[in-house]
Amino acid sequence: MFRNYINIAFRNIWKHKFFSFINISGLAIGISASLVIFLIVQYDFSFDKHHKDSDRIYRAVSNFEFSGEVYKNSGITSPMADALRKEGTGIELVVPFRHMDFERKISIPVTGKDEPIVFKKQQDFIATDQAYFKLFSYEWVAGNPAASLQDPYQVVLTESKAKLYFPNLKPSDVMGKEFFMDDSVRLTVSGIVKDQVKKTDFTFKAFLSRATLEKTSLKPRDWTQWNNTNSSSQLLVKLSQGTKPIQVEKQIEALSEKNRIKEPGDNSKTSFKLQPLNDIHFNPDYWIYENRIAHKPTLLGLLAVAAFLLLLGCINFINLTTAQAAGRAKEIGIRKTIGSSKMQLIFQFLNETILITLMATIFSVLITPLLLKVFADFIPSDLTFNFFQQPAIWLFLLMLVVVVSFLSGFYPALVLSKFKPLAVLKSQSAISGGQSKTAWLRKSLTVVQFVIAQVFIIAAFFVSKQINYTLQKDLGFQKEAILYFSTQYNDTAVGRQKLMVEKIKQIPEVSMVSLSTSPPSSVSSWSGTIKYKDGKKEIETDVQFKYGDTSFMKLYKMDLLAGTGLTPADTVSSFVINETYARLLGFKNPKEAIGKILIWDVKPVPIAGVVKDFHTRSLHEQIKPTAIGTWVNASHTFNVALYPQNGQTGTWQSAIKKMEKSWKELYPENDFEYQFLDESIAKFYTSEKNISRLLNWATGLAIFISCLGLLGLVIFITNQRTKEIGIRKVIGASVTQIVTLLSKDFLKLVLIGFIIAIPIAWWGTHTWLENFAFKTNMSWWIFILSGGLMIMIALITLGIQTIRSAMANPVKSLRSE
Amino acid sequence: MLELKNISKWYNSGANKTFILKNIDLLINEGEFVSIMGPSGSGKSTLLNILGMLDEPSEGYHYFMGEAVHLMKEKQRSALYKKYVGFVFQAYHLIDELTVYENIETPLLYQDVKSSERKAMVADMLDRFQIVGKKDLFPSQLSGGQQQLVGIARALIVSPKLILADEPTGNLNSKQGEEIMGLFKKLNQEGVTIVQVTHSEKNATYGSRIINLLDGSIQ
Repeated sequence: MFRNYINIAFRNIWKHKFFSFINISGLAIGISASLVIFLIVQYDFSFDKHHKDSDRIYRAVSNFEFSGEVYKNSGITSPMADALRKEGTGIELVVPFRHMDFERKISIPVTGKDEPIVFKKQQDFIATDQAYFKLFSYEWVAGNPAASLQDPYQVVLTESKAKLYFPNLKPSDVMGKEFFMDDSVRLTVSGIVKDQVKKTDFTFKAFLSRATLEKTSLKPRDWTQWNNTNSSSQLLVKLSQGTKPIQVEKQIEALSEKNRIKEPGDNSKTSFKLQPLNDIHFNPDYWIYENRIAHKPTLLGLLAVAAFLLLLGCINFINLTTAQAAGRAKEIGIRKTIGSSKMQLIFQFLNETILITLMATIFSVLITPLLLKVFADFIPSDLTFNFFQQPAIWLFLLMLVVVVSFLSGFYPALVLSKFKPLAVLKSQSAISGGQSKTAWLRKSLTVVQFVIAQVFIIAAFFVSKQINYTLQKDLGFQKEAILYFSTQYNDTAVGRQKLMVEKIKQIPEVSMVSLSTSPPSSVSSWSGTIKYKDGKKEIETDVQFKYGDTSFMKLYKMDLLAGTGLTPADTVSSFVINETYARLLGFKNPKEAIGKILIWDVKPVPIAGVVKDFHTRSLHEQIKPTAIGTWVNASHTFNVALYPQNGQTGTWQSAIKKMEKSWKELYPENDFEYQFLDESIAKFYTSEKNISRLLNWATGLAIFISCLGLLGLVIFITNQRTKEIGIRKVIGASVTQIVTLLSKDFLKLVLIGFIIAIPIAWWGTHTWLENFAFKTNMSWWIFILSGGLMIMIALITLGIQTIRSAMANPVKSLRSE
Repeated sequence: MLELKNISKWYNSGANKTFILKNIDLLINEGEFVSIMGPSGSGKSTLLNILGMLDEPSEGYHYFMGEAVHLMKEKQRSALYKKYVGFVFQAYHLIDELTVYENIETPLLYQDVKSSERKAMVADMLDRFQIVGKKDLFPSQLSGGQQQLVGIARALIVSPKLILADEPTGNLNSKQGEEIMGLFKKLNQEGVTIVQVTHSEKNATYGSRIINLLDGSIQ
């Protein structure tokens, strides 16, 4: 029975090669997209799932509220851990650890040599105690959790770290070895554990004993301070069975209330949250140790794209199969007269669908590695696709085949199996009458396809329009031909900076240099409160600060609307404020602001100028009140404006080489890392660019699948109407008239799709644009343009077939009748 | 073997009933070879289809192998049909996408016959009709007579008690027609009940009884 079905299925697939091609390629695109997206989603959702009792593990995080703004901190005040251990209830384990944020220098002494082997920029160091290894299970190669993290200067390494530092030693021989951290702390290896194989965000590879922090010079400043919270001070808890997170949150809050010193006038609020382990990988509010935070909306968007592409493929299948049903009618009639039941026929056709879906799936599996390359930007770099070693993929594909086959095969199977044997054996005409319902369904499904494709087109247009807008908008300062680089934030050798500035100035390609905290627009910013008394009432404002020297505003070509600008000084002696701030303070004319006194902290500072508004952040955000001042000690960024590249002044590359040379002389301990400002501003919009690329792909594929379906339908219809076309031509219809006749019905469907798509696309893009404080217009012409584009593509698709059949010699089609 | 009592079939056209068959009473015994004759539109094919349970009468009683067909549900009818009836068509109605072998095999698939048994039965049938050499050909590669042979082989493979043939020689030349009729005669002698619809007086003479139909009534 089965072989018979398979045989006839294969012969049918072969007989209708083109339709099979449409069906298989449409489904293959949908399945490939689903597979790739499944891999991504599965990857992100498998983080930290393997720990024992992972549903009872939480991370304690802090939220601070200052004057209405909430600051979220992934850490918790350092003394909290010990207090919670002593006084907490309902907690099985309290696991504090300190993330050693900065890149560390590790030196391995070599016997018989003076110079140690040095590893720079070492990461993944934390300080913790044995509780950490009770919470997360590690396999111990040497040492044990109880003894290995007991005393100061002990360190446990993972195998990979041990291998890196001591490449020629067996793990057991590494035990007891010593090495130096940052040239000052001598550590002794007291244990070796296997590296974590399963996916986790706790990717640490070296574990110092917590006692090392407590008892030595490494002790952090905030170690005993209840009023200070460092995001590196991490606290994990495992609740006892039956304890609710809120109960522990309350205990933490009570401990904080009891121990924190309340200063008068401090209106800030502090609250604590227990963040579930499975939230850590997705929550952008809290830091996860330099690891990538997955973006849930993007994942949901990806899922939607996969579902839509799959739906389009299924629709093609349903449409083409029901349209072709008449061709199968005879076979069905015969099968019924020789004893097939309806059920058996349904099974036969479902089998056929499964076969087609399977072929599409095999094709998808083959092209998936290619797709992973195309979408490398969205895909985590350690995501793997190994078809033969990931049973989850098998399971997913199996499920997909079943679901897709059922979705696309069930209705056609039902339609086909319903044919009355007598009617189909007597004459073919009996079928078309009973088909008005399936014709109607076909039309509706085609409309659905074009709604999806049209929405994708409109959305893609708006997203790229917005990206263009953000990149071309006047930000209030010059961003082209400017590069910048910074010394370390704690570098206080002002003389060295001045020398560097002088050296840069001597480079002929450089037009101007300025020192500042950061470029006008950057990811990080400083802010604080400034008070202003305008005689009657006091205006207290949260203000963003930019510190730069006197050439800062000149270099960035910022417009000074009033006043003289900054005067040379080592610390803040005057402020230039932006228009927004001036307006907020009640000055109708910028000139009124000049000379007025602002109270910064307790220090009176006069306003020396008003600058035209400029964007300090991405266009997602409003322009905030901003003040520019001079503060030498806080200015660690060199802003360098270059002359345009031409023959006379030399290239930018040669300028950069010269700067690097001076840098190496003055800052031998640091690498020279520069950025062009326009490029780093473009990086603000990386996620938008990714969305845009994804949308472009989805749009292209959606159009492709829908048009394939359209082509299939028009081929079918023209074949069915061959005789009619012949007769019409004989009685004098022109090619244009026939093409119009054949295309009209289809174009109507595309138009209906367009009309339905407009409100959906409008709502979708409007919602998306809400993310931006500064956004492009929802121009009506984009809708018209996208609609026109869709209609044109549809016309071309239809034309492929309609023109050919309209040009065909009518004598041929009539003779064969 | 089968009995029709007061069988009528009509279509409603507006307020009027258009009768295809009117008050048919018919008794066919096992082993008979009946020919139904009559001009075009007299209701021959409809009668045959009702006998074969492919079509339902508008009213009347229908008994087959002692069971009341008019009281049955579609499922029971098709089970009964599967067991006892083979159909032969004027247009052969082979499945174009299946080979000769597969066409003959298909009815067995619907009766859940085991693979080894199937092979033997189909081989037997191919042998009997001397079409072993054509078993891997598709219908379009055969002549009309050969196609009808395959059609009959397919009808016979399930060893039906009753063969219903709707103008089995209508598309064949006279020599091929004679061969097919000879075959029917032989089958009848082996005990198979045959009912055929035919226009040809000559073909009717192969049978044991002739029923003349005019405007839906037996004359």
